[in-house]
Amino acid sequence: MIEILKAAKTYGSGESATVALKDVSLKINDGDFTVLLGASGSGKSTLLHIVSGLECPDSGSVNYDGVDITALSDDKLTAFRKEKVGFIFQQYYLLPNLNVDKNVKMGADLTRNRNYREIIEAVGLGEKLYKMPSELSGGEQQRVSIARALAKKPQVLFLDEPTGALDEETGRQVLDYICSLQKEIGFSVVMVTHNSNIAEMANTVVKMNSGKITETYRNDIRKNARQIGW
Amino acid sequence: MIIRPKDVAKSFGVLIMCACAVLICTLFLNSNIDLARIKDQITNPEMMIIYDLTVSSGNMTCALTGGALGLTTVIMLLFYVKHYIDTHKPELGILKALGYSNWKIAKGFWVFGLSVFTGTAVGFGLAFAFMPMFYREQRNDGILPDVSIHFNPVLLVYLIILPALLFSLLAVLYGYRKLKRPALELIRGGNNAKIRKSKTAGKRKTDAPFLQELKQSTFRSRFSLVFFIWFASFCYAATVVMSFSISEVGASDMMAVMMAGIGVVLAVTTLFLAVTTVIKGNAKTIVMLRVFGYSDRECSGAILSGYRPVTYIGFALGTAYQYGLMKLMMFLFFDNSVLGLPEYRFDMQAFIIALFSFVAIYELFMLVYAKRIQRIPLKEVMMEE
Repeated sequence: MIEILKAAKTYGSGESATVALKDVSLKINDGDFTVLLGASGSGKSTLLHIVSGLECPDSGSVNYDGVDITALSDDKLTAFRKEKVGFIFQQYYLLPNLNVDKNVKMGADLTRNRNYREIIEAVGLGEKLYKMPSELSGGEQQRVSIARALAKKPQVLFLDEPTGALDEETGRQVLDYICSLQKEIGFSVVMVTHNSNIAEMANTVVKMNSGKITETYRNDIRKNARQIGW
Repeated sequence: MIIRPKDVAKSFGVLIMCACAVLICTLFLNSNIDLARIKDQITNPEMMIIYDLTVSSGNMTCALTGGALGLTTVIMLLFYVKHYIDTHKPELGILKALGYSNWKIAKGFWVFGLSVFTGTAVGFGLAFAFMPMFYREQRNDGILPDVSIHFNPVLLVYLIILPALLFSLLAVLYGYRKLKRPALELIRGGNNAKIRKSKTAGKRKTDAPFLQELKQSTFRSRFSLVFFIWFASFCYAATVVMSFSISEVGASDMMAVMMAGIGVVLAVTTLFLAVTTVIKGNAKTIVMLRVFGYSDRECSGAILSGYRPVTYIGFALGTAYQYGLMKLMMFLFFDNSVLGLPEYRFDMQAFIIALFSFVAIYELFMLVYAKRIQRIPLKEVMMEE
């Protein structure tokens, strides 16, 4: 279980200070699909970065099964990310000079996963194993980043607007694929989005505004991408 | 103006190179021109031998310094222009999209010549500050008659105005060439390094560990960085060994100290620029690896240590180059002299000083900058996209 307690974050200082998070508390259960929903500037991405250990809050704590990651040294935080979490970003962040196989291997080698090519096959890129990122479409690049994140067998998968740069059909494929894998493997998912339709695919929806959680609710029935109108 | 002088301020390496080159060349050339004024007064053969020797060693020092530093400056200037374009692709792409022609944008690159102008002007001014001491040192054996210092305007033209104009023109032409790309490609150009891909590289199926493959791939794909670090190491060896062994060819103690000082400043500056460029060029990859959980040691080992063999090869070739160049210059300037060709042997002591200082400085720069990357917040780099 992930437990965030009174996490606060302010960027800048003095008159130019921007409060991104105001004492946010939240619990995320193992195997849950949680969506952080909000408009631009609501603090959802900051919360994702803090929960995933990409940055530290000014105050408050983030506990993974009782271990406060905000108190970890940089080396231990790196080890934590290696063992526990996977990332999928809107901009993919693939290594441009490595082919699909090697980009996915980047994730796989961290957990000595020698069967990572099965994941590449599963995301439908088996034929494009030796293509470079520049030779792939946006959707294909995002699927490579999904394979890379999954190849390290994360316990929690963090997604920051994963369909933001994709067309409708590709975005639908990507979302459905993540949902089906999550159901199959059982890892937790924390996804940031501004699209309220996508929230219907999650178990738990956390609505944010101006750095605060304004509403948290659970969906009894999770819909797939086509059902939500994507 | 598209490029602001503030952008050019970053090219301080060019400024230092130019200042050092012009400082040395002005001292020797001004002295040689002034010496020519008293040539008629030299009547006995012994004085003529000393005169020939002084003029020949002055010309040789200018040729060595001007040639080597001039070439280095050209490469550095082109690198700065390329770096500017690489880091400002979206802005340049928008200008092109708005209708600015390549030529109109490239004309703005003339300001890169300002660093050459400033550097040469500083070197020229410093030379005149040192000139009285230099003249005294040159004639302290009392064989040649005293020579008074004259301001020779021809040097102002050849050492300040012409280089500034030539380098401005070079920057404009190079910029024009590099801008010949579709506007959209520039706007989208997030990657600073051009990705080189051989026909077989992508298809090579290996089961080597990821970090090992990354090391090879980083090395293969960033040729400009590899070349720059190689060149910096080459220059370091050539400059330091040459400046420490200049006394072997008859330079005075003062000149030897001065040349060694300038050599060390130049060598360290070049190496510093190369190391920082290499590290900055790979910062995003290192940060991405850290996001996924690779340790700092693994990141540095996979990416930065790949450059190490190239730097040491560059150092070895630079040492050989300076030896060959010194031999050649001696042959060219002294073969017809009445004194004959002086003996020049490889200066092992200078080589050892250069090698140890190189290893220490290179490894220290790498360590310090690798530590600085570790302190960059992960989010900061990722938000740059």
